[in-house]
Amino acid sequence: MLYKDYVKWSRWPTTWCGGCAIGIIFKQVTFSLERMNLPREKLTVVSGIGCSGRAAGYFNVDSVHVTHGRALPVAEGIKRGKPQLNVLVFSGDGDLVGIGGNHLIHTARRNVDLTVICVNNQTYGMTGGQMAPTTGKGIKTLTSPHGNRYSPINIQGLITANESYFYARSSAYHINHLQKAIREAFAWPGFAFIEVVAYCIENFGRRMGYRYGYEMLLKIKEIYKINHSPQGLLKDNELGILKK
Amino acid sequence: MKQLIMGNEAIARGALRAGLGFFAAYPITPASEIMHFLAEKEGEIEFVHAEDEIAAIHMAIGASLAGLKAMTSTSGPGMSLKQEGIGLAHMMEIPLVVVDVQRVGPSTGMPTLPSQGDLIQARHGSHGDYNPLVFYPATVEECYFYTIEAFNAAEESRSPVILLLDGFLAHLSETVDLRAVKPHLKRRKLKPLGGGNRHFTGLLAREGVPLTDDSDYYRQWYTRVKNKIMTVACQYNYFEFLDNPQADTLLIAFGITARVIRPLKKAYGLFRPIRLFPVLEKELSQAAANYDRIVVIEMNDGQYAGEVQRVLRREVISLPILGGKIHLREIQEALNAL
Ligand SMILES: Cc1ncc(C[n+]2csc(CCOP(=O)(O)OP(=O)(O)O)c2C)c(N)n1
Ligand code: SF4
Repeated sequence: MLYKDYVKWSRWPTTWCGGCAIGIIFKQVTFSLERMNLPREKLTVVSGIGCSGRAAGYFNVDSVHVTHGRALPVAEGIKRGKPQLNVLVFSGDGDLVGIGGNHLIHTARRNVDLTVICVNNQTYGMTGGQMAPTTGKGIKTLTSPHGNRYSPINIQGLITANESYFYARSSAYHINHLQKAIREAFAWPGFAFIEVVAYCIENFGRRMGYRYGYEMLLKIKEIYKINHSPQGLLKDNELGILKK
Repeated sequence: MKQLIMGNEAIARGALRAGLGFFAAYPITPASEIMHFLAEKEGEIEFVHAEDEIAAIHMAIGASLAGLKAMTSTSGPGMSLKQEGIGLAHMMEIPLVVVDVQRVGPSTGMPTLPSQGDLIQARHGSHGDYNPLVFYPATVEECYFYTIEAFNAAEESRSPVILLLDGFLAHLSETVDLRAVKPHLKRRKLKPLGGGNRHFTGLLAREGVPLTDDSDYYRQWYTRVKNKIMTVACQYNYFEFLDNPQADTLLIAFGITARVIRPLKKAYGLFRPIRLFPVLEKELSQAAANYDRIVVIEMNDGQYAGEVQRVLRREVISLPILGGKIHLREIQEALNAL
């Protein structure tokens, strides 16, 4: 099957802003599905709420768009109900790590066989750009107008705290690496979590002085380096795939 | 074969009889025994001791989408948490059974004492307008039977159906012959996930396409879903009416309260709704027609009395029994003082 066959074109255009990272990531997922030649009937996609959470509706498969933060428990129920399905969770950092944080800890601990793509744009894009648990220290947002007083959450630490894990950090810029991470995550027989470094231009980047999405994309290129054979955990500026 | 079993166990067995495939919950008094019993069946069914009640109901929604009959159980504090999932299941039209074994609230309240305080929560607890089916058994055998009927009604209405009971009944053991109960089982109509390109969403949608600013469509959608549930409800008009032509007062009560006042049947008419919601409007009106006085006795401060008053459009006396303690003598005195 071609990548196009995994896309629900009847829903085009998407709600995403021009220049948003979510579209790039969505496309890498469909490319990966083509490369893996995953039959459509073996796939279902679950999303929570947010701009990233709209993704489920754009896949040409049976898909579910649930309440804010609950993509993981719904996905777990689906996987337990029909284990032969590949269950892909595609959602935002606010959804999966913020409001859904408790579910994240426990779904990872139970090692439920899901593939999770977490679009980490470091903000709540859909609601106007408030501070997320992933927002960097000092950054000004609608709910941190004087600068964020808190350090961002350590997602890598959360996932790798488990006995067995798959944690990848990739980015919307490093698309080959992202595709590789997606393929490996689908092949992993357990909970596989991919944190995709992304950005939100309209409700986050502009406030920081970026004019276009691609400027934020180039910033990711500048900051992040791929570590192809990481020993131990990834450094803050590293992308890589960790499995145990 | 007669066996001595507890209300909570009868619920678990009823669920298995109905074809339960998935159960998730979080421990809470006085509902935990449902979980304990079903944990033993792990392997035959999918069982999850979830991280919280929100997870439990959302897992049940997922499992139902995947084709399994699913249930979750809790008590008041967990019921408050489940409201989000109940709304989602209504919006996505997912069959599901939610059991709420009530204890005294609000909040952590009186965990070991029974109550009937979650009626309005069961009816209106999630935001927005919706019309849930709610059943309320009064015996251990009924716990079994109405759990099965809750599954049937959920399948037929494609909605989350609520089974309410009080901590008394949940922990009451009675001798019953469950094999003598011969329920009809409704099959799954909803096609399991996989193979299509359907989109289930909590947003207002038509054929899976969100239509979030079309008020006319909302009205059409709401009418369709309400009519669907009302039509199914008509096949589950469960109640018990002990008419008493000598009496001038009709007592309305359900669950444990109905059991406690049963000895009053010589002096009063007794009406026991089993399908609490949608309210049995016709049946209630007919039963009430020949009585001068209507008294609703319940272990809360008049939650169902308000519903009855709304339906009958006449004065309804509320006799609240608060704080988890119920005695026939107290009720008798209160009735005498009316
Ligand atoms: C229970 C609940 N609380 C709040 C909201 C409002 N809300 C919608 S999207 C969102 C944030 C989404 O952030 P994220 O997951 O990071 O996605 P993004 O939009 O950035 O892709 C919030 C708070 C909601 N829909 N439901
Ligand atoms: S608001 Fe931000 S995250 Fe949402 S679509 Fe626009 S750019 Fe993307």
